[in-house]
Amino acid sequence: MFAVLMTGVAMGCLYAAAGLAYNVMYSTSKVLSVTTGHIFMLSGVFGAYFMTILGLPAWLAFAGAVAVGMTFGMVTELVAVRRILARSDEHLWLLSTLALGTIVAQSVALWWGTEPRPFPRLFAQDSASGVADQKYWLPIVAVLVLMAALECFYRKTLFGKVFLAVAEDPFAARARGIATSRVRAASYAIAGAMGGVAGFAAGQLTFANFALGHMLTLSGFIAVAVGGLGSNIGALVGGISLGLLTAITSYYFGGEFQQTIAVGLLMVFLLLKPEGLFGNQKVRHV
Amino acid sequence: MKPISSSRPVLLVLSLVALVSLPFWAPDEYKIHLATLIAAYWVLIGGLNLAVGYTGLLSIGHVGLFAIGAYAFAILAGTHDVHPYVALAAAGGIGGLCGLLLGLPSLRLPGFYFAMATMAFGMIVGELSLAFDGLTGGGAGISVPAFPAPFDKPATVFWLVLSLAAIVTVMTWNVARLMFGRSLVALRDSEVAAAAVGIPFYRTKLAVYSFSGVTAGVGGAVFASLQTYITPETFVFDLGMFFFICIIIGGRGSILGPLLGTIALTALPEVAAPLAKLGQFFYGIVLLLVVLLVPEGIGSVFHLFRKQPAKTKHVVKPELELLSTALRKGAAR
Amino acid sequence: MKSRAEAVVLGLLASAVLAVSPQIALAQKPPVKIAWLSSLTGPLSSAAIAENQGVQLAVEEINKVGGIDGRRIELLTRDTAGDPTKAVNFANQLVHSEKVDFVIGPVNSGEALATVPIVSRAGIPNLVIGTVDSLIDEKKYPRTFRVINTNEQWITTANAYAMDTLKRKKVAIIGDTSGYGASSAKAAAALLEKAGIKPVYSVLIDPNKTSLTDEVTKAREAGADVIMPWSAATGLLARLLNARGDMQWDVPVVGHPAIMGLPIKALLNKPEYWNNTFAAGYASTTFDAAGKLPEATTRLMNIARPKSDGQIDFTFWWVALGYDTVKIIEHAVKKAGSTDPAAIQKALETTSGLRGSYADYTWTPTDHNGFPDSAMVMNKANTFRDGSFNRAPR
Repeated sequence: MFAVLMTGVAMGCLYAAAGLAYNVMYSTSKVLSVTTGHIFMLSGVFGAYFMTILGLPAWLAFAGAVAVGMTFGMVTELVAVRRILARSDEHLWLLSTLALGTIVAQSVALWWGTEPRPFPRLFAQDSASGVADQKYWLPIVAVLVLMAALECFYRKTLFGKVFLAVAEDPFAARARGIATSRVRAASYAIAGAMGGVAGFAAGQLTFANFALGHMLTLSGFIAVAVGGLGSNIGALVGGISLGLLTAITSYYFGGEFQQTIAVGLLMVFLLLKPEGLFGNQKVRHV
Repeated sequence: MKPISSSRPVLLVLSLVALVSLPFWAPDEYKIHLATLIAAYWVLIGGLNLAVGYTGLLSIGHVGLFAIGAYAFAILAGTHDVHPYVALAAAGGIGGLCGLLLGLPSLRLPGFYFAMATMAFGMIVGELSLAFDGLTGGGAGISVPAFPAPFDKPATVFWLVLSLAAIVTVMTWNVARLMFGRSLVALRDSEVAAAAVGIPFYRTKLAVYSFSGVTAGVGGAVFASLQTYITPETFVFDLGMFFFICIIIGGRGSILGPLLGTIALTALPEVAAPLAKLGQFFYGIVLLLVVLLVPEGIGSVFHLFRKQPAKTKHVVKPELELLSTALRKGAAR
Repeated sequence: MKSRAEAVVLGLLASAVLAVSPQIALAQKPPVKIAWLSSLTGPLSSAAIAENQGVQLAVEEINKVGGIDGRRIELLTRDTAGDPTKAVNFANQLVHSEKVDFVIGPVNSGEALATVPIVSRAGIPNLVIGTVDSLIDEKKYPRTFRVINTNEQWITTANAYAMDTLKRKKVAIIGDTSGYGASSAKAAAALLEKAGIKPVYSVLIDPNKTSLTDEVTKAREAGADVIMPWSAATGLLARLLNARGDMQWDVPVVGHPAIMGLPIKALLNKPEYWNNTFAAGYASTTFDAAGKLPEATTRLMNIARPKSDGQIDFTFWWVALGYDTVKIIEHAVKKAGSTDPAAIQKALETTSGLRGSYADYTWTPTDHNGFPDSAMVMNKANTFRDGSFNRAPR
């Protein structure tokens, strides 16, 4: 039973990390990118590649995976978001990020294969360690560290405050001389780096699998929908609830209804509380 | 609006004749099968076009409704021996009902949320078709009966599906032409402004989405009959993306564009074998290029050709005398 | 005849024409077109790639000596990528557009379930290499013949080993959600019930599920004393062995041949997790007590070895299977004297004990499954060498 709970919390933390990435990207661009989940996928796949095929040591592979995530975040902003935002059409960014996500997922499928391949151990530990296994603890620790780092960044550093300014009111920020487009690019890079860290940490749980991208895009979205877009605590709560719910129901009712239950949760929340648990009621100026 | 040229009706009649006579000039049975497949896809895409292209409802998981239509037909006509025509109608009805049920909670949500909800719906349908294996055959799949005579030959099946596709096309063309179609475009481009003008946007969206569910159900049913055997692996997310991409590259707000898009994207892997291997990757690149470079879709390129330069040199010059007379007269009042 | 000279010239011309005409006739003999539907990418690609090797080997060998009765083999390979829609499209194209004489495959049972009726409706002979039992039906599909063993043969062999040799009674059946996995798990349960045993636990798992701890725990809680997996998904089978090992549960695993395949080795957390694991196998790729393989297998291996960089590091019966399908076509065309489908059907239905590298085949008008029960054997996992295995202890 404990193993089930641990799986739920660990996967939930991964979903929460995807939610955090959504929050960071959304705050500066008002764009919810379909490529969010793919950042984690790329980090996991490249991490496995660096360690198993190239034989690099774990810390170097980690740095490499984070670099890959960061690059992909910047590519998303450059290719799929920047030009689209310059136009007025509201929903083209959904299409462009969807296209970019498909391209990345399919390239990885063509290169890495469609079978999930195992992610090597990061620290020497017997595989029969049960609940104390690093594959559960690494994602949990990673996400908590990321959240703490984000809080620090937003509160304690000037650049973080610039971020908050742009998120709250981009026009006012621009009037104060802040280069909003550069801040946006930086926020995507940060989201990419976060995805790199969390994707690498969760590799042993998820395996290096090209299909992870779509799954995390949806699950991370459920986490922020439940927790409230823009709230990091909300993403954590939403993610862990989703993780626990799916792990427990999948144990007792079989894994056949996983998606149905996850989306059921989503729908219930969106009907009752569309802004999520910790989100703000949005008032939109027309 | 599109300029009316005299060549358009002639072109239309010619292409219709070519289409209807296809079984006679097609080089072999396989090409007829391919054409029937395109027509089956178009039954779904024609209806989906109203929802995506005109109303801007980004339903990326529409493949779920397609699967429901296919399985409904297979189960009714196959396992329960219902007459195929009745099963076909039932598949459309069930598709419409599921579209309505999916739309009820989801259409109130903003764009991205709605897209994710449809994507999740597609995944759920896949999950349920595996789970309810007593009904659907589970992972092993289920065989689908063909239509009874006279629609059991490649040529006659083609005509059947072609007529269904034609009905859908005529219906959507009518809708697009009338006020209702304009209201859809208004909804897509600015929901708030549309609501301000009195368009009941939730009801409109629901109506359009349910209609696209009906066409998806019918399309799924004929597709299943064509494939003769369906498994959950047939209805993956990639197929939903394919439908979606056909519409976007064809151009939103047009019927001809997505039709040509469907024909091109279905026929292309047949013609270019290396593209067949790249499959989804190729579709993703096409979508990205279209969205970045030609967001109005490739169909809009046709409009460029249709624009005719002015026949005479038309100079805009005010007739100053008339103008001053009019002003004096007006000032006098 | 005007003069003797003219007669001589005419005579020379006539003999020249007669001398050349057999060559012209030979050059004009149409090739034997064989369609090969294979899932070279996607799931089951490792089996398909190896079978492809066997097919190519046989085609090369036959064409080198001039073809079948002077007719070259033209092989049309299509990669279905495990997608039933693609398989159906290719089947239609090959049968109606290319007008092939034979269809081999598809490899994937999920695809085969869709294409077998199509090929059969067109009256083209189809050599099936999927194991799902419903693919063969002498009445519905009169020109479809199976080369590989049936699922029932695999399951019966494994069941007999688990119940009679290992003396186990509480069975946990693990399948996957693919077309093959779902049908096999169902068939396995049915065959067990026929032998009077009801499984204590039965589940279908998504082949991409990354941890099987839940399912193996539940099997243990249900009191299982043998686990029988019926899935061809290598990753899933490896994770099953890992879950069993990490839980330190020493229960025997008896099931599908894929659990012995070499790729499993790299996916195991510890090499000893492969112990206490047995699978259904074949006499053709089993070492005898002296460590030798049957002659036909060795012969084929010697031809195949140089083409795969001197090493056979994949399951070899796949290659033998692919090789034999083409040889069977050669036999059928020679026996029938043509590629007329009705004659081919008759030729195959009257074939008995046809020697092959994978097995010796027999078909009758009432039984289109050609693989003999006697060629089935139980193998021990973790004994992989040269694409073959040791016999399981009796």
